[in-house]
Amino acid sequence: MVFSSLVFLFAYLTLTLLVYYTIGYKFRNIFLFFINLVFYGWGEPLLVFLMVFNIFFNYLGGWLVDKYRTNQKKKKLFLILTCVLDIGILAVFKYTNMITETLNMLPFLSIPKVDISLPIGISFYTFQTMSYVIDVYRNDAPVSKNFINFGTYVALFPQLIAGPIVRYRDVAYQLEHRTETLDRFTKGVKIFCVGLGKKVLIANQMGSLTTALFESTHQNGLLGTWVGIIAYTFQIYFDFSGYSDMACGLGNMFGFEFLKNFNYPYIATSITDFWRRWHISLSTWFKEYVYIPLGGNRKGVKRQIINLLIVWGLTGLWHGASYNFIFWGLYYGILLIIEKFVLKKFLDKLPKVLQHIYTMFIVIIGWGLFYFTDVKQLFEFLGNLFNVSNGFFSEYSFNFTMNYLPMMCIALIASTPLGATLYQKLSRTRYIWIAETVFCGIVLFVSTASLVNQSYNPFLYFRF
Amino acid sequence: MKKREKETMENPLNEEKDPMELSKKFYENSMGYVNKNSGAMRFLPSLLFIGFVFVMSVWFIFGEKAEYSSSEKRYLQKFPETTFSKIADGTFSENFEKYFADHFPNRNFWVGFDAYYNLELGNNGANGVYYCKGDYLINKPVPEINNLEKNIKAVTDFKKLIPNTPMTVLFAPSTGYIINDALPKVHDTYNDDSYFDYAQKTLAENQTAFVDLRQTFKDAYQQHIKLYYRTDHHWTTSGAYIAYTKLCEQLGITPFPKNQFTAQNYDGFYGTTYSTSGFWNIPPESIQVRTNPANSENNITVTITEGTKTNEYHSLYFYNHLEEDDKYPVFLDGNHPLTTIQNTNAQNGTIILIKDSFSHCFAPFLAENYRKVILVDMRYYKQNVSQMVAVEQPEQVVVLYGIDNFLTDTDIVWLG
Repeated sequence: MVFSSLVFLFAYLTLTLLVYYTIGYKFRNIFLFFINLVFYGWGEPLLVFLMVFNIFFNYLGGWLVDKYRTNQKKKKLFLILTCVLDIGILAVFKYTNMITETLNMLPFLSIPKVDISLPIGISFYTFQTMSYVIDVYRNDAPVSKNFINFGTYVALFPQLIAGPIVRYRDVAYQLEHRTETLDRFTKGVKIFCVGLGKKVLIANQMGSLTTALFESTHQNGLLGTWVGIIAYTFQIYFDFSGYSDMACGLGNMFGFEFLKNFNYPYIATSITDFWRRWHISLSTWFKEYVYIPLGGNRKGVKRQIINLLIVWGLTGLWHGASYNFIFWGLYYGILLIIEKFVLKKFLDKLPKVLQHIYTMFIVIIGWGLFYFTDVKQLFEFLGNLFNVSNGFFSEYSFNFTMNYLPMMCIALIASTPLGATLYQKLSRTRYIWIAETVFCGIVLFVSTASLVNQSYNPFLYFRF
Repeated sequence: MKKREKETMENPLNEEKDPMELSKKFYENSMGYVNKNSGAMRFLPSLLFIGFVFVMSVWFIFGEKAEYSSSEKRYLQKFPETTFSKIADGTFSENFEKYFADHFPNRNFWVGFDAYYNLELGNNGANGVYYCKGDYLINKPVPEINNLEKNIKAVTDFKKLIPNTPMTVLFAPSTGYIINDALPKVHDTYNDDSYFDYAQKTLAENQTAFVDLRQTFKDAYQQHIKLYYRTDHHWTTSGAYIAYTKLCEQLGITPFPKNQFTAQNYDGFYGTTYSTSGFWNIPPESIQVRTNPANSENNITVTITEGTKTNEYHSLYFYNHLEEDDKYPVFLDGNHPLTTIQNTNAQNGTIILIKDSFSHCFAPFLAENYRKVILVDMRYYKQNVSQMVAVEQPEQVVVLYGIDNFLTDTDIVWLG
């Protein structure tokens, strides 16, 4: 189930809120645990068991690590066992096809293809449970003493399928002692509406534009191809950050607090800055659980470069089981290394505008690598970005661009902190509730219309 | 908390600490600013949110569930089966989502709202239909990559199977091509010119006549004749009549004079482009039926074959369809695989029409000239047409399509 669906908004959420706030304090977590499984099982009925298994052995792993806290050897053994199992399951379910396809390129091999579908959210919840065991090992997180609470954490529906990657250490206290107040609830409603608007009203529209222009990039002309990749740049940000906002907002409605996952990444002034603002929970995860354990920058420049490449290769791979994602990760790894060791001094002297242009150029080209899983299409796309052999701006792409131009302008403004700054200034005034209520009302109303219209499906070749 | 061993190797900054305490601190500092100046009014967004989702949920539960959506012309999703296997393989959730969306309270209102919202945002044509001047709703042009060449080849191949029967092709130009000046400023080009030129050239090389309606229709449009419906993709009865006279010219027969028909208009017609567009504020229009007063039950027989069932009627018009929003099926009862019109008063013999729905209001005119008009709809007719030609020995075979349909059709290829 996704948040931006009618069933979620008007059936699942209504029911969950109703029961959650009527059954009493004691049963909140048991209920949440159960309803989380319903949420997950809605799309993946049988894979619920995989997730429950994952919850179970990570809970056990954490418990064992804690139990042998004074016994370095055993402690380490249980940590490694748990992590291997975590990564093993992720590898089997996410990367089997990629691995067999790769091996099959060897002329003497022909491994039959197994049909394994990717369980929704497995990349997110695996990283969450791993962070738990590692944190318990490092004494950065308290050990969980209640299986239900731990299960509630892993499967918590707001962040289950699309992040953010919430670390147990951040929510350990909340799982037992959170306070649901009307103020927190209202905060949640507001953030949720922002996220819903980002997803349904902006990302979906940008998605339609991207689909139209990327059907085959050669029919667009140079400028049309740029519009296409810019539309995709907007789509991916508003889609992802919209989900994260909805997750944080929903968390608030149930008394939780999660860390912010996006911080206006498109106003970054360098690639380093961009990755401090984009999908923060993932970058943090890789930094804490891969980069630092590998030695980070403490073992010399040569080792640091290798560490960075490993981290970025893995970051890429995490995004999807396809080689273009590894390239995309390494692309950033290499650029970050160059930036760190060569460009930084030079960049700092540039005017701010040029820093923005430099950053966005790299980011936008990066999304091209991200979008095209097919190498041939990717090169065709890159070619069309820089030469006019397919024209400059075809009528087809021009018309689409014109139709979506107002929405693109809205997206442009909405990807800057302009609105937030304005809101910050007015948030202490007495009548801000009017603006807040009107905003939420409009977003809810228009999003509902948009979601209903998606299901409107005239079947006109039958009986007319 | 008891003291725990330092772990300087993994995390050098990790000194004596209590992770639960840190977790608590994070939570306690996370609420942020609360504007108490607004008093209880600051909770209004919550009230609105809860109110909205709860009202819609309750409305959904108790609201009436329609079986059929007349604007979409399809049956709506029924409540899905709740067997264990259906739930386990995910079909239940999938169908439940469809069910939920299909029966969402006031569904058409939301669809319309979204249509106008997109229009106001400058995205005219978001649903595939342009909102044009004079309340015209016009389908966007068919994509440039389409089935034209394949379908023309199917037609010329078919001609080779019936070398002794003359064949004529006639396309209704697309609405947007003719009514070009009503289109919004930003619109895709209607490439009828290249399609018609290609068809004309290729058909001429294959002993097939082609009736080119482009100029005729453009001229008629200049004289303010309403050739196409505002809310439907079909041509009007006037448009069809003009096409009919043009075909008669090609076939060397005399068209039945316009002034001998009795014209009757019926109001309240909403067609397919209206249903697709969601622009519910567009006013309805009228649909015209032109009858020949000399026709009666005695000379007219319409035989409709649907599967193995065959029904006989004695009228070209099915007035019961005038009760519906979409009144176009008043002509020959809409789509059927095989429809045969017999008129014992007519002069000529048999004509076969390979056609789409554009010919439904067209064929009644032809029936004034031909004793037997056979309409074959390739979308539903699955038998051998050349064999039918051999049996029926028609004087003429006519291929009649709206150009948009012809470009997108995937069934003409079965002609051979």
